[in-house]
Amino acid sequence: MLNAFIDGLFVVFQWNTFLMMLLGIFLGFWVGLLPGLGGTTTLALMLPFIYQMTPVEAFAFLLGMHSVVSTTGDITSILFGIPGEGTTAATILDGHAMAKKGEAGRALGAALMSSLVGALIGAFALALAIPVVRPLVLSFGAPELFMLAIVGIAFISSLSGQGGRALLRGILAGLLGLLFALVGQDPQAGVLRFTFGQLYLWSGLDLIPVLVGVFAIPEIIDLAVRGTSIAGELPRENLGRGVWVGVKDTFVHFGLTVRCSLAGTFIGIMPGLGGGVAQWIAYGQAVQSARTNEERAGFGKGDIRGVLGPGAANNSKEGGSLIPTIAFGVPGSSSMAILLGAFFLLGIMPGPDMLDKHLVLTFSMVWTMVVANIITVVISLFFLNYLAKLTLIRGTVLIPFILFFSFIGAYTSNNHLGDLLVLVAFGFLGYLMIRCGWPRAPLVLGFVLGRIAENNFYISTIRYGPSWTLRPLVLVLIALSVIVLFFPFMRFKGRPLAGGNVQ
Amino acid sequence: MKRLLNLRGALSLATACVAGYALYASWSWPFRTALFPRVIALPILFLALIEWALSVWGSEKEGEGHAVDFQFTDTVEPALARKRTIAIIIWTLGFLVLILLVGFPLAVPIFVFAYLKIAGGEPWTLTIALTAISWLSMEGLFNRLLHLPFPEGLVFALWS
Amino acid sequence: MKMLMILFISLVLFFANAPSYGASLYEGKTITIIVGYKPGGGYDRYARLIGKHLPKYIPGKPGVIIQNMPGASSVIAANHVFSIAKPDGLTIGTFNNATVIAQLIKVEGVRFDLTKFAWLGSAASDAVILSVRSDLPYRTADDLRKAKQFVIGTTGPGSSTHDFPAILGEFGGFDFKLVPGYSSSADVMLALERKEVDGRAGSYDSIKPFIDRGLVRPVIRNRTSAPGIEKLPVDENLATTQQGKLIMAVNAVPTQIYRPYVAPPATAKDALKILRDAFANVLKDKDLLAEAEKGKMTIDYVPPDDALKVVAEVLGQPPDVVKVLAKHIKFGE
Repeated sequence: MLNAFIDGLFVVFQWNTFLMMLLGIFLGFWVGLLPGLGGTTTLALMLPFIYQMTPVEAFAFLLGMHSVVSTTGDITSILFGIPGEGTTAATILDGHAMAKKGEAGRALGAALMSSLVGALIGAFALALAIPVVRPLVLSFGAPELFMLAIVGIAFISSLSGQGGRALLRGILAGLLGLLFALVGQDPQAGVLRFTFGQLYLWSGLDLIPVLVGVFAIPEIIDLAVRGTSIAGELPRENLGRGVWVGVKDTFVHFGLTVRCSLAGTFIGIMPGLGGGVAQWIAYGQAVQSARTNEERAGFGKGDIRGVLGPGAANNSKEGGSLIPTIAFGVPGSSSMAILLGAFFLLGIMPGPDMLDKHLVLTFSMVWTMVVANIITVVISLFFLNYLAKLTLIRGTVLIPFILFFSFIGAYTSNNHLGDLLVLVAFGFLGYLMIRCGWPRAPLVLGFVLGRIAENNFYISTIRYGPSWTLRPLVLVLIALSVIVLFFPFMRFKGRPLAGGNVQ
Repeated sequence: MKRLLNLRGALSLATACVAGYALYASWSWPFRTALFPRVIALPILFLALIEWALSVWGSEKEGEGHAVDFQFTDTVEPALARKRTIAIIIWTLGFLVLILLVGFPLAVPIFVFAYLKIAGGEPWTLTIALTAISWLSMEGLFNRLLHLPFPEGLVFALWS
Repeated sequence: MKMLMILFISLVLFFANAPSYGASLYEGKTITIIVGYKPGGGYDRYARLIGKHLPKYIPGKPGVIIQNMPGASSVIAANHVFSIAKPDGLTIGTFNNATVIAQLIKVEGVRFDLTKFAWLGSAASDAVILSVRSDLPYRTADDLRKAKQFVIGTTGPGSSTHDFPAILGEFGGFDFKLVPGYSSSADVMLALERKEVDGRAGSYDSIKPFIDRGLVRPVIRNRTSAPGIEKLPVDENLATTQQGKLIMAVNAVPTQIYRPYVAPPATAKDALKILRDAFANVLKDKDLLAEAEKGKMTIDYVPPDDALKVVAEVLGQPPDVVKVLAKHIKFGE
């Protein structure tokens, strides 16, 4: 296996493969940056060109493109508050808040570096796990997936904020998100739920219009109200030069970065959890790492850890999601589904063979993701300074473009005007939530996990009857969700607050 | 103050209504289809009413609650803030209506031009340059390169 | 006189070299193929493959672009091609073959009539099979009848993974336990590997790689055959009642036009002829067939008249039969 590990690296550096990867990186850079150029759509468009390439070249190209998208998607999230991809929304909360304080450079540096660390850890964890990954995935059946969704939902308590009132609102937001997730055709009886006679809603609400609405629209409103540039009137010491401060921050909080990377890899490996989850769980972990109540209150307003966590997780998840795709032929995300199409096109059958006969190919894919991320981050670091300066542009000039890209970003989900209506409706909701102090992260978390929870619940119950609750892994996960749920309260019991008052 | 409380109360009341509707809609569904909606909507209804009660009769300033989220800027005085908020909301809705009327490819440059000139008061050269850029990316990238399907716009549909 | 001769000859030459009518129709134009699903899926890949080679067979060599209009299992795309797309020969649509069922059971939101489309034909037919995990001892349909609570994973009513075994179970005397809720058929395969489910039904094309890999073996098929599974028992022959047989038949018929291609109703006759010929010819194109083979896409041309016959067969069922059908055959993702 070690031979394959090293051979895989050499394969990446052959001329033709390397060139294809660079091409993929170049394309992926713009795809992640520009909302509207969804990673999935573009990947699909590239498929016909794959016909002409050899398998290794093709994967270098596709993966080069794909690995870079999460990294550059963070850039748009931080600078403009638009989730360029479904996986980079959590970065907006603190990343864009930092941009508004004039710290865009620092946020960008942190996001980029944590993305790199995440990608590297993800890739290496993957490489190490290859021998055990099949039994690992096979032991997580529907009951365990349901419990994983519950663990995710338990993070709502951390994402809500201080005090009982905030928790109340957080739970409301989370439940509301869960309810929104149920819109569409129900897989149990085929009944159309909450579709109001609209064909558009048959498959439910799409993630991107909801995300762009909930996050980008309120930011646009705020920008218009402030009447300044994004960076505002505050001193700018962390703007350009701040990039290296941000890079260093990744290592100052290395424990968090690593934890979130590992969580992201794990979530990526689990087929069916989807890409949108990892970033929020990482964000929840980042919030949990706060040591005092005041620190916790700082989240959502520009805490660097809120950038590091999701930044690392959404890259490590990519490495993880490669596993169900190549080892089982089950795509870990929609972009992986397209990658799978490429597999078939090239006549390769994903399955146990990938971890056996075609191990070199598998490792070359892992290495591609590593090298692609390194190249992207190194190149980006050079002009992050200039990118950060974009936050100095007058708001009135930026707003029409941010609106344009938000609209087109939402539209390309289904190429349907309904996407725009959803965008505006959720934009309005997001605005109201902020005005009324309702946290938005739980809403998104509930929305992303709703269907996973429901479907796996029914599969478990129908298949196993009530005995699924007693499976060992399920019991472990129940305990985990209880811990996650009560963590914010456990942490601060009996600890003195800053100022000497005992809780 | 009262106005603010009304907004919070309104949101929680609206949420309660959404939950109520969900419960009502699930009445005729088969058991499995209705279980999750009911299990979720019932607590929402209950909690939303509590939140409503707290908003109306409790005391809380705007900006409290410490949600893990940002708060709107308070450096601008409220009256101006309200004016600008309403303005941007109208512009956003206007963009949407424009897209519905003339289709995406035309709406984008028109909107960019209108916003830069009317809301931004930007100089002509900059306005025209940026409008050109927006039109190029719209037409060139999304229309020509990616061939995204854009509906015609009501104006043209009715005309032809 | 000489002038007249020259004029006459030049006129003759001019008209002899004039482009044929077909070329002037499509020259410099672009054909749009509207796909009812997101990029990357089966329908999309077929459309892109066909779109790549189609210009060769249309005089004037127009460009071809693909537009995705996902939603409501391609009902949105079908509605669009039916009423909004212009019948000028520049639009082609491809969508879910089950839309004929949607029309039959009068699904809400259906605003098209499949008999009125200008059909180009179908690019493939597809067999639907029920496959069983290979480590289980069931090899024939009779074996399967003896099984108790045989677990079949599905993606929900309306898909072939669900309706085929549901009908088979009810009318064939099998004890199937259907477990819906899997997000995709690939997830069902994973569940198979986990031994969470015992079998999976669905399109033969999508299950074939797993049969080759040895994960599952096919046991029963519907009436559409394919190389390799001809000998399998057909579900209709296993039905215990006449009604069951009919339901299975109606459910199976659309799979004969698995990848339908149509043009908007009332498309100009000459354009339609060009499109139909081009469609028939492109599916015989050597390069296309080679690429399809590589991508494991079966190509199996069905002429437009046969396609219309299939549609008419399904839609021609009397209303009381439709009522029964609607209880068992659903339309969905």
